[in-house]
Amino acid sequence: MTAVKDATDDYFRHKSDNQVNNRLSEVLINSKLQNEKWMNVKVGDIVKLENNQFVAADLLLLSSSEPHSLCYIETAELDGETNLKVRHALSVTSELGADINRLAKFDGIVVCEAPNNKLDKFMGVLSWKDSKHSLNNENIILRGCILRNTSWCFGMVIFAGPDTKLIQNSGKTKLKRTSIDRLLNTLVLWIFGFLVCLGIILAIGNSIWENQVGDQFRTFLFWKEGMKNPVFSGFLTFWSYIIILNTVVPISLYVSMEVIRLGHSYFINWDRRMYYSGKSTPAEARTTTLNEELGQIEYIFSDKTGTLTQNIMTFKKCSINGKIYGEVHDDMGQKTHMTKKNEPVDFSVNPQADRTFQFFDHRLMESIKLGDSKVYEFLRLLALCHTVMSEENSAGQLIYQVQSPDEGALVTAARNFGFIFKSRTPETITVEELGTLVTYQLLAFLDFNNIRKRMSVIVRNPEGQIKLYCKGADTILFEKLHPSNEDLLNLTTDHLSEFAGEGLRTLAIAYRDLDDKYFKEWHKMLEDANALMDERDERIAGLYEEIERDLMLLGATAVEDKLQEGVIETITNLSLAHIKIWVLTGDKQETAINIGYACNMLTDDMKDVFIISGNTAVEVREELRKAKENLFGQNRSSSNGHVVFEKQQLELDSVVEETITGDYALIINGHSLAHALESDVKNDLIELACMCKTVVCCRVTPLQKAQVVELVKNYRHAVTLAIGDGANDVSMIKSAHIGVGISGQEGLQAVLASDYSFAQFRYLQRLLLVHGRWSYFRMCKFLRYFFYKNFAFTLVHFWFGFFCGFSAQTVYDQWFIALFNIVYTSLPVLAMGIFDQDVSDQSSMDYPQLYEPGQLNLLFNKHKFFICMAHGIYTSLVLFFIPYGAFYNVAGEDGQLIADYQSFAVTMATSLVIVVSVQIALDTSYWTVINHVFIWGSIATYFSVLFTMHSNGIFGIFPSQFPFVGNARHSLTQKCIWLVILLTTVASVMPVVVFRFLKVDLFPTLSDQIRQRQKSQKKARPLRSQRPQTRRSSSRRSGYAFAHQEGYGELITSGRNMRAKNPPPASGLEKTPYNSTSWIENLCKKTTDTVSSFSQDKTVKL
Amino acid sequence: MKVPSTLRFWTKMKRISEDYQSRLPDNTALKQQQLPAYRLQLSATGVLSGFFAAGAFCLGMGIILILSAKSIKEIEVKYTKICANCAELREDATNFDKECTCSIPFYLSETMKGNVYMYYKLYGFYQNLYQYILSRSNSQLLGTDLKDVGNCAPFSNSHDGTPIAPCGAIANSIFNDTIILSYNLNSSIPIEVPMLKSKITWWTDKYVKFQNPSSINLSSAFAGTTKPPYWSKPVYELDEEDPGNNGFLNDDFIVWMRTAAFPTFKKLYRRLNRIQYFIEGLPAGNYSFNITYNFPVTRFKGEKSVVLSTLTWSGGSSLFLGLAYTVTGAVTWLAAFSMMAIHLMLKKKKMLFIQD
Repeated sequence: MTAVKDATDDYFRHKSDNQVNNRLSEVLINSKLQNEKWMNVKVGDIVKLENNQFVAADLLLLSSSEPHSLCYIETAELDGETNLKVRHALSVTSELGADINRLAKFDGIVVCEAPNNKLDKFMGVLSWKDSKHSLNNENIILRGCILRNTSWCFGMVIFAGPDTKLIQNSGKTKLKRTSIDRLLNTLVLWIFGFLVCLGIILAIGNSIWENQVGDQFRTFLFWKEGMKNPVFSGFLTFWSYIIILNTVVPISLYVSMEVIRLGHSYFINWDRRMYYSGKSTPAEARTTTLNEELGQIEYIFSDKTGTLTQNIMTFKKCSINGKIYGEVHDDMGQKTHMTKKNEPVDFSVNPQADRTFQFFDHRLMESIKLGDSKVYEFLRLLALCHTVMSEENSAGQLIYQVQSPDEGALVTAARNFGFIFKSRTPETITVEELGTLVTYQLLAFLDFNNIRKRMSVIVRNPEGQIKLYCKGADTILFEKLHPSNEDLLNLTTDHLSEFAGEGLRTLAIAYRDLDDKYFKEWHKMLEDANALMDERDERIAGLYEEIERDLMLLGATAVEDKLQEGVIETITNLSLAHIKIWVLTGDKQETAINIGYACNMLTDDMKDVFIISGNTAVEVREELRKAKENLFGQNRSSSNGHVVFEKQQLELDSVVEETITGDYALIINGHSLAHALESDVKNDLIELACMCKTVVCCRVTPLQKAQVVELVKNYRHAVTLAIGDGANDVSMIKSAHIGVGISGQEGLQAVLASDYSFAQFRYLQRLLLVHGRWSYFRMCKFLRYFFYKNFAFTLVHFWFGFFCGFSAQTVYDQWFIALFNIVYTSLPVLAMGIFDQDVSDQSSMDYPQLYEPGQLNLLFNKHKFFICMAHGIYTSLVLFFIPYGAFYNVAGEDGQLIADYQSFAVTMATSLVIVVSVQIALDTSYWTVINHVFIWGSIATYFSVLFTMHSNGIFGIFPSQFPFVGNARHSLTQKCIWLVILLTTVASVMPVVVFRFLKVDLFPTLSDQIRQRQKSQKKARPLRSQRPQTRRSSSRRSGYAFAHQEGYGELITSGRNMRAKNPPPASGLEKTPYNSTSWIENLCKKTTDTVSSFSQDKTVKL
Repeated sequence: MKVPSTLRFWTKMKRISEDYQSRLPDNTALKQQQLPAYRLQLSATGVLSGFFAAGAFCLGMGIILILSAKSIKEIEVKYTKICANCAELREDATNFDKECTCSIPFYLSETMKGNVYMYYKLYGFYQNLYQYILSRSNSQLLGTDLKDVGNCAPFSNSHDGTPIAPCGAIANSIFNDTIILSYNLNSSIPIEVPMLKSKITWWTDKYVKFQNPSSINLSSAFAGTTKPPYWSKPVYELDEEDPGNNGFLNDDFIVWMRTAAFPTFKKLYRRLNRIQYFIEGLPAGNYSFNITYNFPVTRFKGEKSVVLSTLTWSGGSSLFLGLAYTVTGAVTWLAAFSMMAIHLMLKKKKMLFIQD
């Protein structure tokens, strides 16, 4: 049964896998482009990709539509970073262009490294036309990327299928089993041991009985000679009893569990509240074996991009010259919250406006109309200082090609407010300023890098003024301001704090007027510096520092990295349910931290935020040690000198841990993580991480994500859930106990690997708190009842053994034994297992603390199992000994025999069915029609089957199969039999009611309290002391929004990425040596027209 | 076949709208887990009143049962030891043809009013052994196929291969003592107390489960079969007085064939025929059991007794059920009182807590 279900599950998985495998891509076959399924793409094929297509295999880029065979890719699927990356073809191959015939004849040989999982490294050599060219990561497009801003490109397949770096990173698929399954396996073993013990006891009893009594008895009964040996008889008895008693663990247990899980899976699929109408995607339970584990999650590992965030940046607010724009004010001038009523600013007067852009503060538009020069300057800066490329599409509309969505948001905002960036050349930038075209001369481009955290442009406007426009991280920029900005600085700082408090990504904006002479001197020095061989980078950096000073502050921008809907509430609720959420992202540390603040995972109330970003093992160890010292040190002081030993602390459960440690957060970098995951530091890491409220791992590779999950799984023995949307999350989804994929996105990889999928992060709350909780609750209830029932059912045979000479005589009719578990008692417990609810779904959401019993595994564990066992044993004792006592020396109402074996069997069976039905009636807390039908129906079925099998007719047909003829009629018309049944029922159910009543009265659980409250119809007062706060006390954080890479400045100023302008000297590209510095740098060295060019200790990032 | 274009159009439209709709789960109470339901909860008043009611019922029932059990007149005479010489004789199976009788006088101090039943009672006779219970053939006993000896081994066929009727260990070990109760009216002439052997079996046993093979007379019907090894007479000669009480339909045989649940059991042997002196029941006085001792029990350390008993409304119940009910009732009340105490105490505490 289980196998059949797993097989269907697999079949459906297979079907959706096929969907991916059957995606088409254009492959060059026999000098013609043909559509070929992904699964048929082979190494060495030449593939044509078009804009916005998924890359099917790891490709060597041969040529593309863009100048210099550049091509842009989005790697969000791979590492979660949202900015575009540039790849370029070797110049030798880029000449091939789109010439199909030449491409078809391409016969280069690539020698490269073996397939591996390193996403940011590639080494190889291309031998073609008698020369060798070294290849590196910059020439390779990996599977899982999406081609952007490039109309076509050709590539040769280097790795296909399982050899691709993406798949190499996705880890192995393991068979997932729930912890209840594992517990059950142990319990079944125990029960089997118990069974063997019972068998041995009974076998010994049999041997003794045979020796003492049976011997004489048997000679009297004239048995066969061979049967006389008591030991042999005991041996046979042992096996007979093993067979009789094995109903303790019936197969129907496993079958019923699967049915229940299937039911729960359907409930997940059917839930309208997890249906996302935006993409018309319902939630989907892709496996049907893990449901109850959803109720036990302790750790959630979440991807950032696409999971927490929508991957959309919007320009939200700005502060211009000490005035905030973007807040919504009502008529009274008071700040109000966003409501539906607010009209967005109407941009229809501006034909170039981007329709999707929305801004709710009309005052900014008014300021523009009034001609506020600071506002003009502000918007002009946004339109000038960036690395965006513009393009017109066929409809004549302006399209921006952005490499970082933040910049896109800023330029689009400027565009909508009338400062439209139109086009650029290496020397000029053309902007349409409120209807008039203005062309600025681009004199210098001071590019962004991670140290500078700012970028500047120096332009000459048509009036001949030279201006430096700068945007960058506020902390950095504020140090460069002219002293006269003091007041404005304070004001803007306040505004920035406010923005930061709302989790917005902020940038400070400033300008400087330069006089001609000064600039010329400076430019001369820059050119000199560029020509230098030694210390060139330092010199250039110094020159940049030199000119970017005495800036005049204009204001600040706030861009929202739009979170998915309901993320904050979901995270708050899940934290209230004591679920720890770790963010694992391939994105930058700053971006990750920013999202952490935006999601309320990081707050200013936190005592400390540890950042581990060491580059070597020693550094990392030191940092971890310091963080731990810090943590324990503060604890010691805060817990009044109570020295808490680390080991003890580890043993304490999570609740205590939290109260001890207060709120801490840990942020760890990918390269540090690589060291921290080494075996000797592992313990420190996990110890530290588990005591922190929030853990953010940034810049991690897909495989590291899986390693982190494994670490928690193995060291904390906690139930983990991983949620993600992209191919980079596959490994973590596979290695966590439960993997959840965000569906409805373009890439299917994560969903395909996942166990559950839905369209929005916020549904996770309902999946866990409602479905998971219910599943766990129901499954535990089901198991408790099932074990109880079967112990009660089976153990009477054991007691009877003492009165029937241990002869393995069953108490019940064979038919009853066969039907009891399947017909008489299966449906009511199934109905309970599928439909039962202790509290409503709304209450489950309102009181996240209700989730806790699942995490602590309180509802079904070994202890509970023994209670069920004891309960079952007690019931079996009552069931056996009350009829036994009553049948002693009894006679029927007409004096006839009623203490015969068959009547006893019928009495016992009837009592059992009634007791067990009353028990399920007590256990069922949510009585739907179905429960009624099943419970009453089961009892009715029992009696009708009983009377049928004891009827004359059926005896007439099969006299030897139904020897109980007339029994039901005779026994069940005796008053005293009914009195016996009644007494057994009362005696076996009463203690249970007493215990339950007292438990609810003395130690009510939260769900008891909620039920009581709802029962008494009082208005439910939320138990939560704190509602999820959407606003935090804001404090200054250095939030800066440059989610982009350096290097684009050079691209722009060199004109490399501009069409048909300034064709670069091809000679410079030919012998690109392979070394650790980037190709861009090499490009820049060779070009003479670059104004600014500098090199950083920059690592190649993917 | 040509489908009208409008029809095609509509089916297509329907399919489209279904496709569009299909992804949204149905809004039914079942699928949304919103089925109207009663939430069962153990409320204090419900539980306590239930407990008090159940306790009262159990106590009442217990007292009634005890009283009615007390009203039963019962006399039991164990005769294994009294008839020790017979018992000794029967230990040796070779003496099976030697008759042994035994008379046991006893005094009935009180009249047993109403219907009086005579039982034989066996101690330590395991009629519930697995292989013993199995050793019978219901289809043979139904009279349809005498040669069907099914599970009867080792008592299925005699040494020469003739099927045994009735076959099996149960039939073979039939209780074959004869018990006659005599009443010494004037201390000299004993009167045999009139006893009925009818209606001592279940109706279904007598009329459904056991049937004689159809034939002109029983002896020819059982031709080709042989008697069980322990039997002295063939099955068709069990009752010489009443020819209708022979074959498989012999009442004593049917009673024996209904195997007892426990090793100590009593089975109905005779009913008092309420005529002459015995219209009211058994009058007080001197009686004696005249027993033809055939059934050996000493070999397995068993005992035999003969029981005379009257009945009440609930049959021949023992004290156990009454006591069990009384105890259960008492415990239920005790539990109810303590639960109430605890509940009230907690309530008070809560109130205080709120007031604080």
